[in-house]
Amino acid sequence: MSLNRIKAVLLQEFFITKDLTVMMDLPFLSIVTIIMFGFVSIFLTGTASFVVARYLLVGALLWDVLRIAQYSMSVEALWNIWSRNLCNMFIAPMSLAEYIVAQMISGAIKAILIFTITTLIIFIGFNFNILSLGIFNLILFLINLIIFSWSSGMIILGIIFRYGTRLQALAWGLIALLQPLTAAFFPVRILPQYLQTIAYLFPPTYIFEAARANISNTATNWNLIGIAFIENIVYFIISAWFINLMFRNSRKLGQFSSNEQ
Amino acid sequence: MQDIVLEVKNLTKHYGIFTAVKGISFTVPKGKVIGLLGPNGAGKTTTIQCLLGITLLDSGSVTYFGKDFAKNRQYCLQKINFASSFNTLLGRISVWENLLVFAHLYDIDNSKKKIMELAEYFEVTELLSSLFHNLSTGQKTRINLVKSLLNDPELILMDEPTASLDPDIADKTLTLIEQLRKSRELSILYTSHDMEEVTRICDEVIFLDHGKIVAHDTPLGLTKRIPNAQLKLTVEGDRAIAEKFLKEYKQKFVFSSPHVVTINTEGKLIPKLIFGLSKNNIYITDIEVKKPTLEDAFLQIARNKKYVA
Repeated sequence: MSLNRIKAVLLQEFFITKDLTVMMDLPFLSIVTIIMFGFVSIFLTGTASFVVARYLLVGALLWDVLRIAQYSMSVEALWNIWSRNLCNMFIAPMSLAEYIVAQMISGAIKAILIFTITTLIIFIGFNFNILSLGIFNLILFLINLIIFSWSSGMIILGIIFRYGTRLQALAWGLIALLQPLTAAFFPVRILPQYLQTIAYLFPPTYIFEAARANISNTATNWNLIGIAFIENIVYFIISAWFINLMFRNSRKLGQFSSNEQ
Repeated sequence: MQDIVLEVKNLTKHYGIFTAVKGISFTVPKGKVIGLLGPNGAGKTTTIQCLLGITLLDSGSVTYFGKDFAKNRQYCLQKINFASSFNTLLGRISVWENLLVFAHLYDIDNSKKKIMELAEYFEVTELLSSLFHNLSTGQKTRINLVKSLLNDPELILMDEPTASLDPDIADKTLTLIEQLRKSRELSILYTSHDMEEVTRICDEVIFLDHGKIVAHDTPLGLTKRIPNAQLKLTVEGDRAIAEKFLKEYKQKFVFSSPHVVTINTEGKLIPKLIFGLSKNNIYITDIEVKKPTLEDAFLQIARNKKYVA
């Protein structure tokens, strides 16, 4: 694996992040959303429940980590496909693994940077310090959420490689499907029983549960985090296998080059 | 013995029940420009894609510099490059940024210096800060050529690099390619629909049709295989005598006016016909000979006429 080639993809990511569309999709949308949740939390604190307000803020801050890291992984490839440049990149001696690792690093950096910004906004503007959940807990949450976003990013990328841009909406849409399923903003018990079973198939569900538990008690919930981590490892292995298979099938069927025609 | 930079053996590619490429074999020697021609759907693009690894071949082998491409993908790709008018760079970032990305992908030492050198060579220095999607087609082609030379390749695969360029820019681009070939002893596998262009720069031409190689020769050799030529004469004298003479020689001819006759004949018979007509007191005041071109050879193949490979 060449560090220079990983750096090349990271450089491209850095350059394209200046584009207005990317700025609107990533920091702008995150900041506007968190401010909106900030005001909703003030409203709820005054009229309903302090805890519910905190649930929403914690859910919004952590959910955005998942969204940004996954978006970054999938949409960057689409920028290249739309410009007919992805084939050019793979005509260079870059391996799929180098490309994916670079996307993972880039997604993680963007997610953490924007998380830092939104956390500061919530702290300064809405008097909530996410560090009150416990710094160690927070690190575990972020690691798990980012690993899951990598896995979902690989699945989406694999589908786009194999089936082309007609399925590009998954890059934005698939993660939205997981928002209610992973109970980002409410306890899992709110979901019907059959959806609860499905919800527990996804690592973020455990992370959001653990984070909500930490609002009142900062003790690390090893049970929830442990299950999330094990599930994450399984998802990661399956996703890595899947994207390899899809990349190979895409080249075998001529779809990889057709994506840019 | 010539150094072979690319050897293709029995390359076959199927898409479902359709066979795009049927067991083609050829080599590209060092410093040579090999043209890959054929009508639409002949298998040129599929062949190029297989040679670049973005499409996987079903059977056969591709060997670059003596190494199996399938087993040494990174080694081979490091020493080759690709230029096409169809693949572009990332539109939303600047030319400089794009080139910097590719310089890193090819692990190039002193990448900034290299980019500047090539930009000066192709006279695109002033474009480096422009967004790639703001460039004209000709400018994009030159930037693609800069990209394709970043890694000092020994072989470049060029897929219609002058397509959609105006004649002046296309000519300049071809001149640049010719200069590159001479100065670097570069090997090029070149696809184009422009026969004049192919005749100008290719040492050898491979004609593909329905996924098979139907001819492989020099451009001159290919045109020589078409025996027919067209002889257009402006004559003075008795038309009946001229007609009688041409009929005796079993020539196909037509008088487009009383003094202008067009004869479809074999190239080697032209001197005999001219001499014979003169001997029969037919005075020839103008001669126009149209010899077969590479385009004629191409059309013959494209229209599926019988062709001797």
